[in-house]
Amino acid sequence: MSAAVELKNVGKIFARADLNGTMAALEDVNLSVEPGAFVSLLGASGCGKSTLLRIIAGLETPTFGEAICGGEPIRGTDPRRGLVFQEHTLFAWLTVRGNIKFALKGTKKYKSERSEIDGWLELAGLAEFADSYPHQLSGGMRQRAALVRALAVSPDVLLLDEPLGALDSFTRMTLQDELARLWRERHSTMIMVTHDVDEAIYLSQRIIVMSARPGRVREILNVPMSYPRNRASDDFTELRGKILKSMDFAGDIQQDYAI
Amino acid sequence: MKRAERAMTAWELRRLESAPKSKLRRAARRAAALLPAILAGAMIAEYKLVPAFPKYASNPIAYPISNMYVYFAAAFGAALLAWFAVSLVSRRAHEKLLLKTPLYCVLIILLIAYDLMTLKTGKLKMPYFPWADRILLAIYEDRLMLLDCISHSLVLLFSGYLIGGAAGLVTGVAAGWSRRVSYWVMPLIRLLGPIPSTTWISIILVVASSLFGGSVFMIALGVWYPVTMAALSGVGNAQRGNFEAARTFGLGSARLVFKVAVPAAMPSIFNGLTQGMSVACTALMVAEMLGVESGLGWYINWQRGWAEFARMYAAVIVICLTFTAVNFALTLARRRVLRYQEDWK
Ligand SMILES: Nc1ncnc2c1ncn2[C@@H]1O[C@H](COP(=O)(O)OP(=O)(O)OP(=O)(O)O)[C@@H](O)[C@H]1O
Ligand SMILES: [Mg+2]
Repeated sequence: MSAAVELKNVGKIFARADLNGTMAALEDVNLSVEPGAFVSLLGASGCGKSTLLRIIAGLETPTFGEAICGGEPIRGTDPRRGLVFQEHTLFAWLTVRGNIKFALKGTKKYKSERSEIDGWLELAGLAEFADSYPHQLSGGMRQRAALVRALAVSPDVLLLDEPLGALDSFTRMTLQDELARLWRERHSTMIMVTHDVDEAIYLSQRIIVMSARPGRVREILNVPMSYPRNRASDDFTELRGKILKSMDFAGDIQQDYAI
Repeated sequence: MKRAERAMTAWELRRLESAPKSKLRRAARRAAALLPAILAGAMIAEYKLVPAFPKYASNPIAYPISNMYVYFAAAFGAALLAWFAVSLVSRRAHEKLLLKTPLYCVLIILLIAYDLMTLKTGKLKMPYFPWADRILLAIYEDRLMLLDCISHSLVLLFSGYLIGGAAGLVTGVAAGWSRRVSYWVMPLIRLLGPIPSTTWISIILVVASSLFGGSVFMIALGVWYPVTMAALSGVGNAQRGNFEAARTFGLGSARLVFKVAVPAAMPSIFNGLTQGMSVACTALMVAEMLGVESGLGWYINWQRGWAEFARMYAAVIVICLTFTAVNFALTLARRRVLRYQEDWK
């Protein structure tokens, strides 16, 4: 069976007017994600995580190498590959319900099933705000709305760019469980960027640690624990220590955090 | 529902935070709200009781003095009284009336002063300064003609406005969306944009086979430019993330334009439409005054030929009311389309 997502020697160079030249955001990234896997990307700010997701989504074209999805090279976007953006991309002129409806209509899956949208609103804890506009929501509420908007489309591959970054730890844990549940139920492939090591361990089967400038894959760690996972178990703590160590080795990453 | 709730709390907050008012002050505020209605009564009293300037009073054929002014003042006073009656039960109406009280008082006092200066003392002379009753009478006497003029003006205005607005939307959105279109359209915009649309009137007068058609073209051209520019910048300033998100939902270019670019540009487009309306009104007046033989602009020009100042002022008032109504309709449309911006800021 072919991999759900495969990156072969992918490199990305951006033209940078401010530097009067170019800048390598990604270099020689090799990655293979099998169908139905849950993979997390960890790495310092600016190391190219979002760029990597955007390449898989088809929003950026790799400068070098090849990005393949389901055996075919990635050319442009496809509703089978969903992306939850890092910054909020809700449509300002539509209500929360309207935003979800828009996504469903886009994929022509929409059969005016109001109850389905209600279900998603419930899951996001936004039932009361169904008819509110994005600017009337808090940052965390917007993030939840954007998350369920992408989930509603039920893509085969879901790319999540810090989907829970703006949430308090309790809402976050609840949504982590929901994500895990949806992933199990749908057998979809999930690739998630996060800054939260615990979140990565709690959810994913594999964790990819990236290094910065240019962005590379530093290390790939397996998480050999069964679901549902116990955040307080010894295995969990041990793995957390291992990952933190792996990320701390690099001096320049330390610097990045200091900036 | 949610909105009303919020308004209530904001209102109650203000009441909570403002210093408590004494009984006497509350009574004084109540009484003050009655002042405009009382002054409206004074308006009638002044008009009826103060004798007219002898020169006018002695010649009712040349200087007719009617009761139009009384009806006007009575209607105004009745409306103010009704408002006052509502304000006895509704706090909001009361506050709003209090807010407007000084404005209406000054307005009525100015009207009384004007009547004294013209009809009653002749300090401001006829025919340049007809008294208010003369102007109202002129509107009343010429009402059929004026209505006809209004309808002709509106037909011309909206023919040009709708054509120009639609064309502006198409060119603006297309140029904002596609580089290739922008390559061909931008030079045209740069060339035609700076020319005030009224410049074309002289050419239209000579060339156009139909003056109406020519005027529609001139108005449309005047509207086209601001709407194009507004749509262009609206699409250009749309958030890239919105387009990207829509693309991940599987939208193709056509739907990206209609479902994302156009709605995102709507606030800007409405600015262009408002600007376009003021250009269109100017162009309409120029067209009617110089060529088209109907409409309010033509009427005012025609009355000028007869030195009928009261009728000219009457036309000015009607033009003001008409354009106010048109702009109000546009504002309503804007509020409806941009409902989501209601509580921004
Ligand atoms: N469109 C672009 N044009 C130019 N440079 C870009 C562009 N997008 C990203 N970059 C650069 O590429 C590098 C990687 O950016 P990216 O957004 O992928 O980082 P990231 O790992 O997602 O960071 P963060 O955790 O802060 O979101 C950065 O140095 C950034 O400046
Ligand atoms: Mg990022």
